[in-house]
Amino acid sequence: MEKGTSLWKDAWHRLAHNRAAIVSLFVLVFILLLCFIGPLMPFVKSPTAINLSNTGAAPSADFWFGTDQLGRDLFARVLYGGQVSLLVGLVATAVAVFIGVIYGAIAGYAGGKIDDLLMRFVDILFALPFLVLVILFALVVDNPASLFTDWIIAKTGFARDRVAPITTLIPLFIAIGAIGWLTIARIVRAQVMAVKKQEFVEAAVSLGLSRPRILFRHILPNVIGPIIIYTTLAVPGIMLLESVLSFLGLGVKPPNSSWGILIKEGADRMEVNWLLLFFPSIFFASTLFALNFLGDGLRDALDPKSAKD
Amino acid sequence: MIRIIINRIGQGIITLFVLVTLTFFLVRAMPGSPYTEEKAIPAHTLQRMKEYTGLDQPLPVQYFRYLKNLIVHQDLGDVIKKDGVKVSEIIAESFPVSFGLGVLSIGIALMVGIPAGVLAAVRKNTATDFICLSAAMIGICLPSFVIGPLLAVFAGLGLDSLNVAGWSSPGDWILPAITLGLINAAYLARLARGGMLDVLSQDYIRTARAKGAPPTRIVIRHALRGGLIPAVAFIGPAFAGMISGSFVIETIFQIPGMGQHFVNAATDREFFLIQGLVLFYGFLIVGANLLADLAQIALNPRLRKS
Repeated sequence: MEKGTSLWKDAWHRLAHNRAAIVSLFVLVFILLLCFIGPLMPFVKSPTAINLSNTGAAPSADFWFGTDQLGRDLFARVLYGGQVSLLVGLVATAVAVFIGVIYGAIAGYAGGKIDDLLMRFVDILFALPFLVLVILFALVVDNPASLFTDWIIAKTGFARDRVAPITTLIPLFIAIGAIGWLTIARIVRAQVMAVKKQEFVEAAVSLGLSRPRILFRHILPNVIGPIIIYTTLAVPGIMLLESVLSFLGLGVKPPNSSWGILIKEGADRMEVNWLLLFFPSIFFASTLFALNFLGDGLRDALDPKSAKD
Repeated sequence: MIRIIINRIGQGIITLFVLVTLTFFLVRAMPGSPYTEEKAIPAHTLQRMKEYTGLDQPLPVQYFRYLKNLIVHQDLGDVIKKDGVKVSEIIAESFPVSFGLGVLSIGIALMVGIPAGVLAAVRKNTATDFICLSAAMIGICLPSFVIGPLLAVFAGLGLDSLNVAGWSSPGDWILPAITLGLINAAYLARLARGGMLDVLSQDYIRTARAKGAPPTRIVIRHALRGGLIPAVAFIGPAFAGMISGSFVIETIFQIPGMGQHFVNAATDREFFLIQGLVLFYGFLIVGANLLADLAQIALNPRLRKS
């Protein structure tokens, strides 16, 4: 394992020297803390409390980002919306990566006819109109998800407004995850094919280890680098997809809100009050920026050969 | 070469078949039916309506009937809620609009994205490079439904212009095409930069430099052809992305294209219209990918052998 640790140390060293990536890392941690820990603080107001005598207020000491057309605190709305956007981005990516890694690993390790068949199937799915299928899929799983919400409420007795914000996102996780695994499957397959020819795999085979054990314990840990890189780069794409679906009225639904929904509402009213567009957009764009730069930085750090400069 | 083409066409046909099947069953698995309206329809009328469209039959029967109509009669079926309107008529009416928007925006994307990417690569690690990359990153990170209204306001038209926008005068085309074009230009610029950097570090470019060829000539004559391969490969998928991007653009700018029809059909459960539109999209994408593959083979002699 001596070599393994030094690889990671090397990578960390390279990453630490990449200023854009480090700044991105801090920005991301800051936004994550703000969105998930922030709302627990007493000074953060309710994102849904309507106050019709204080609509469209300018930013002040009381309302940091001002208020929207219903007098709701924009700062709180941005934080809660961020929770939903980040959750969708992370969980849907996790689903996609999970499916893709297993599929790609099996195809790459099995090789031959099985590999041909599995990858031909991926080629076919790859050529399908992605957004169209996500929309259809989201509509199909919409009903089971609301039944599931009711079931959870009946079983656990939690209040609907505590359960629904999370369970109504399930269709999105499934729809995006079910169709987003194709690229990662291709990447993992190529990596596994390269790694399985190395001597340590032969050694594992001659020791008589079982095939699943060789694949999951010995080969996969060696392809974790590309998986991390791809995951970082996939999250912004999926967050963008969530915003598009929400914009079309097929994603996150009110009273739940996400950055996508806040941006859409802000864009509708940008001539009246441009701050409604500005604040959610800044958060959304910074997160996507940071994820992209961090992904690029990780690629350069973990895979120095591919570094472009 | 010909074998490759035949192979790709065969794969395209299989792709379309999978798409038709998948869509058929996804659409049938959606909750709700095309007949849920505000006014309850009397049971016997509903039965007659279902008999007319064949939706009263078991699923396999419906499926094979749909395939038969599709392959033998090239018939995509009727729009359920509009008497006597065929799905093909809707497509024929709205496709030219989407296509016009698509061609315009791909044109803009190519004209902006490729030069920006090449310039960034040639001037690597300079202010020019930084500006191009940052602009591209903004294009990638901002949703199209923000870029559209922002452009409208910056162009001095105001948001009102979006609401009254139509598709009658050429002026209505420009803003949506620029919006869609700039988003794709961002991706193209990144790919063109990456591809050019790869090529510019190759030995044959050094040889060209060593023999004293002028820098512009090296870029245009020697590097461009190989460096643009990743960007060209992206145009096929970009076409697909453009279609999906056009969902949003068509909604913002109120453009009577296919995207709007698809979103409405999906929420109204217009079974045959959804299936027809998805199949048509798939057909376009498969065609675009095929063309992109051929273009790649033309640009890269090494691909011709395999």
